[in-house]
Amino acid sequence: MPETQTHYTTFFEVCLLLVVLLPLVSFVVSGRIPQRYSWVVTFTAPLFLLISAIGAIYIFTAVWHHQPYIARVNWFTIGGTLVSAGVYLNDIAALMLLVVTFISFLVHLYSTGYMAGDAGLTRYFAMLGFFTFSMLGIVLADSLLLMFVFWELVGFSSYMLIGHWTEKDEAAAAAKKAFLLNRIGDAGFLVGLMLIWAYTGTFDIVQLSDINEVFSWQTAASLCLFAGVIGKSAQFPLLTWLPDAMEGPTPVSALIHAATMVAAGVFLLARVYFLFTPAALDVIAGIGILTALMAALSALVQFDIKKILAYSTISQLGLMVAAIGAGAPAAAILHLFTHAFFKAGLFLGAGIIIHVLHQAQQQAHEHFNVQDIRNLGGLRKKLPFTFCAFVICGCALAGIPFFSGFLSKDAILTAITHWKGDGFSWKWIVLASAFIVSFLTVIYTFRMIWTVFMGEEKRTASLPVVEPPVIMRGPVAILAVCSVWLLVDINPVNFEGWLFNTLHADGNFHIGIISIVSALWVILAVSVAYFMFRSKTIHDDLLLNNFYLDKLYFKIVENPSWRLAVFTDYFDRRWIDGFIHASAYAQVTVSHLVGWFDRAIVDGTVNGIASLSRGVGNFTRSFQGGKIQSYILWAILAIIIFLIWILF
Amino acid sequence: MHHYYISLLIFIPLLAAVAGLFVPAGAAKYFRYSTLFVNLLQCMVLIAMVMEYIPAQGMQLVERKDWITLNIGTWGILKAEYFVGIDGLSLPLVALSVFVLLIATISSWTINKNVKGYFILLLILNAAIIGSFTALDFLLFYLFFEFMLLPMFFLIAIWGGARREYASIKFFLYTLLGSIFILIVMIGLYISVHDPNYSGQLVHSFSVLNMADASNFISHTILDPNNAWTIGPMNARLWAFLLLFIGFAIKLPMVPVHTWLPDAHVEAPTPVSVILAALLLKIGGYGLARIAFPIFPEAAIHFSTFIGIMGVISIIYGGLNAMASKDLKRLIAYSSVSHMGFVLLGFASLTPEGVAGSVYQMFSHGIISAMLFLLVGVLYDRTHDRTIVNYSGLSSKMKSYTALVLVGFFASMGLPAFSGFIAEIMIFLGAFKANSVNGLLHESLAIIATLGLILGAAYYLWTLQRMFFGPYDLKGNIAHDSIYDLTDREYLMLVPLAIAVLFFGIFPQPMINIIDPFAQNFSEFVLRAGKSLTLNP
Repeated sequence: MPETQTHYTTFFEVCLLLVVLLPLVSFVVSGRIPQRYSWVVTFTAPLFLLISAIGAIYIFTAVWHHQPYIARVNWFTIGGTLVSAGVYLNDIAALMLLVVTFISFLVHLYSTGYMAGDAGLTRYFAMLGFFTFSMLGIVLADSLLLMFVFWELVGFSSYMLIGHWTEKDEAAAAAKKAFLLNRIGDAGFLVGLMLIWAYTGTFDIVQLSDINEVFSWQTAASLCLFAGVIGKSAQFPLLTWLPDAMEGPTPVSALIHAATMVAAGVFLLARVYFLFTPAALDVIAGIGILTALMAALSALVQFDIKKILAYSTISQLGLMVAAIGAGAPAAAILHLFTHAFFKAGLFLGAGIIIHVLHQAQQQAHEHFNVQDIRNLGGLRKKLPFTFCAFVICGCALAGIPFFSGFLSKDAILTAITHWKGDGFSWKWIVLASAFIVSFLTVIYTFRMIWTVFMGEEKRTASLPVVEPPVIMRGPVAILAVCSVWLLVDINPVNFEGWLFNTLHADGNFHIGIISIVSALWVILAVSVAYFMFRSKTIHDDLLLNNFYLDKLYFKIVENPSWRLAVFTDYFDRRWIDGFIHASAYAQVTVSHLVGWFDRAIVDGTVNGIASLSRGVGNFTRSFQGGKIQSYILWAILAIIIFLIWILF
Repeated sequence: MHHYYISLLIFIPLLAAVAGLFVPAGAAKYFRYSTLFVNLLQCMVLIAMVMEYIPAQGMQLVERKDWITLNIGTWGILKAEYFVGIDGLSLPLVALSVFVLLIATISSWTINKNVKGYFILLLILNAAIIGSFTALDFLLFYLFFEFMLLPMFFLIAIWGGARREYASIKFFLYTLLGSIFILIVMIGLYISVHDPNYSGQLVHSFSVLNMADASNFISHTILDPNNAWTIGPMNARLWAFLLLFIGFAIKLPMVPVHTWLPDAHVEAPTPVSVILAALLLKIGGYGLARIAFPIFPEAAIHFSTFIGIMGVISIIYGGLNAMASKDLKRLIAYSSVSHMGFVLLGFASLTPEGVAGSVYQMFSHGIISAMLFLLVGVLYDRTHDRTIVNYSGLSSKMKSYTALVLVGFFASMGLPAFSGFIAEIMIFLGAFKANSVNGLLHESLAIIATLGLILGAAYYLWTLQRMFFGPYDLKGNIAHDSIYDLTDREYLMLVPLAIAVLFFGIFPQPMINIIDPFAQNFSEFVLRAGKSLTLNP
């Protein structure tokens, strides 16, 4: 396709190369810096990412609303068919490129403050760089195979970053769980790749999108790809790893487990949306809304501030997935876009609270769990800046009008309303659930902000809490600014802004009455939250433990496979080796028998004959002892016998 | 144009071994450096060989000399040749052997017991391995194949761990059983095949290439494809294939004839483990592809589902067993069983993807398992304890070691960017596609095999969690001062392997260029020849 490339200059290509490779350079450089000079990394890593982000802005402006940029090199041949590795940079990819590099840069910057003095500083920044590189790989990959490669690599960097504090047992366990559950989803992804290979013989996204007919295998293939999404985007039933992943450093949670990596699933769905059959989309919508509902309910009762945010992330991802299922990838991407900013803002804000309270605790020699919101309260006085930022981002999450979240959630609700059609079907349940989720979102956000910032100070009262350095406040401020409606469109009630209109060119639904309904709905939710949940804490073990999914999985998967593993070990030792030992023993026994036969019968016969002849020999020899007397005796005896014989 | 590359590779170590006999045993340094020198010389020969190699040409750099010619009257003429050559199947394995043997020599530096005997045995083993991978005459192959057994037996039995005698005898008996099966088939083939180049007289040939051509079988002999004998419920050719299959499956090793492997590994000294896992197991897969499949193509097709199922069982059973292992080396040994199961699955698919994937997997597993066993050896050298639960939080004391363990473990669990991923994805694609292309394997086999990937992640991550993460602690009788990070010599052997694993994971094409022509020809030949031969049950 040479004509599509004319728009792009060599400068553009160099920029793109820089954007993608600088995070990798950051990985290598950070990894090579010796421990003594680990402070160097706090300058180099953010610098690399800054350049990368600036480049991404240029790339974005060049690609947005233009022909996609395609470039590829030959990678390797599978059974004679060439698989290429390349870049397919269309509107969605350009948008994601911008989001990933921008937020990654902010998180790098923030981390220089948050992680200062950490023993594994170089490793931390190295993995952060590697993560960014892999994430950009997912975003740009032009083939499903290449995407799978980076898909697994982000899983690896997520593993390394969750387990960053290696001496913590919980961190290691959480890292393992995250990788394993992702692996289960990836196995599904792999089966999807096999199906696509067997039926089309290509992984190239552009070539695949040329398939015009709908084939039956596509349902299976797209559901298999969705299995990968279930793992990566923490959808039901593989959602339990994300709350545990909060053991990682908070900036990591912001970047990987809120803004970018977990959203990769939604991105994949939007990227290969053409592959999905209506039946597959229905399943996706169902799973998405179920996840959204379950996680929103769990978020209501959590006490750990990061876990609230984690469940809220799962819930929002569920909404995005449901929007894809409802046939509106543009709405899902819009929500992904706004969510990336406000959720990263919330996480970094929570990080500030954790960070400053930890420092204050160290000064005051006091110890309590700073992440437990039951220990917190009234922090608005000591942390006014964080309070403001948190409220802004929280409003966006809750979907309050004039904030970005309101618009993107509106788009999703409108999409689902349009999708459910006129007749009454199960799709109404999805719509109702989506409204319930948005109601619950308001309540848990309100509860979190209210408990942490309002009322009287609890255990923090005696602590010398101060706002963190500007290096940490800056990124949060930027993210808070990006949480207002201006991000989407100048008109605060119109989600059909620059982003939506570009992605949703063939628009089959438009803004309508839903905007007003949802605005009223949110206001109702806020008042319910204020009047009913302000002074009340809900306690529910079922929700606190996320419907006991972990216990269930332990019972039906983990424990049986462990038993099976122990059994195979036993089978090897008892039966296979047992058989071998038994046959060896049998052989030894037979050998002994043969040996006995040899000794007793064969040798016995031989020896018997030998001893017989020896006896005879001895007997006859005994006559010849060399004694003259005995010779005379025998001679006389012989003569006597001879005489007797002759005479008688 | 005469080439002597392969002969050089085989006979340099043999000559060095003979020369070593005349050197006094006290000169430990001589033996170490002369072996290293031999390895480096082999590397140079290998490089020259690869430069000469033309991927599209098939079997090449052939050397063929009469070896044994015996006139046995009415039985015809017995003819065995010194017949060696390489193609897309053997070149990767020969290259792997040269590379891994070099690393194994570096790793053998710590051997202090009877240095002379050790290095002479190592050199003999070296020649036998390369000979097995290049021989094209069945008798010659068998000779090299058996020749490997002897040094291996002594290397385990003399330089091994506490239960070395049990392990070495188990290894010996298992392999001997396999060898007997192969010997039986070899004799049957010898009786049935004649050399087409001698039209006037009956010349029995051991050439594998002759055996792979159905027209070279003498009619009404036991293994004649057109009129084979029936023994019990099956055709004699099916029996012959099964015997060969079991013989090579023991080497591979395939579940349920695998239990020699964990014991042999646990007891063997590190360099011997490395050679065992990286090279000896590959002879099983190599034998299947070089001998069993081409000579009995119709049997290969007949048994393909069986082979595929055995492959999948090995993948999952090995993975489960690895998870239950308490000894780190045993865990890695079982992971080898799991990974070699992929080789079976790939060959059974008889698709170019699957076959190329299997060869790639043999190559890649060679590098990865060498690295893993060296890593275990590093820890064992320090503490003489391999029990997983006796360690905790090693990452805080051994940073570089942990980094390389991470590389090794993630490479072994098939993470992209490492060579195992390329191999496994090709095998998966091939095995899945087989049903729609040639109707051999059911799709479900490939799908079930993905469980192996999940199990792989499970046992490796669990090991990482237990040994390397968490608070630093040592249990058992491990002295704290015995824990220190990698030495220069250890870097020297581990880093090249890590680089190779990464290189062949990111740039697989150079290797695939070599493998692909073979994989295409092989799958096409076996399918075509196999379908043209009618099976009379």
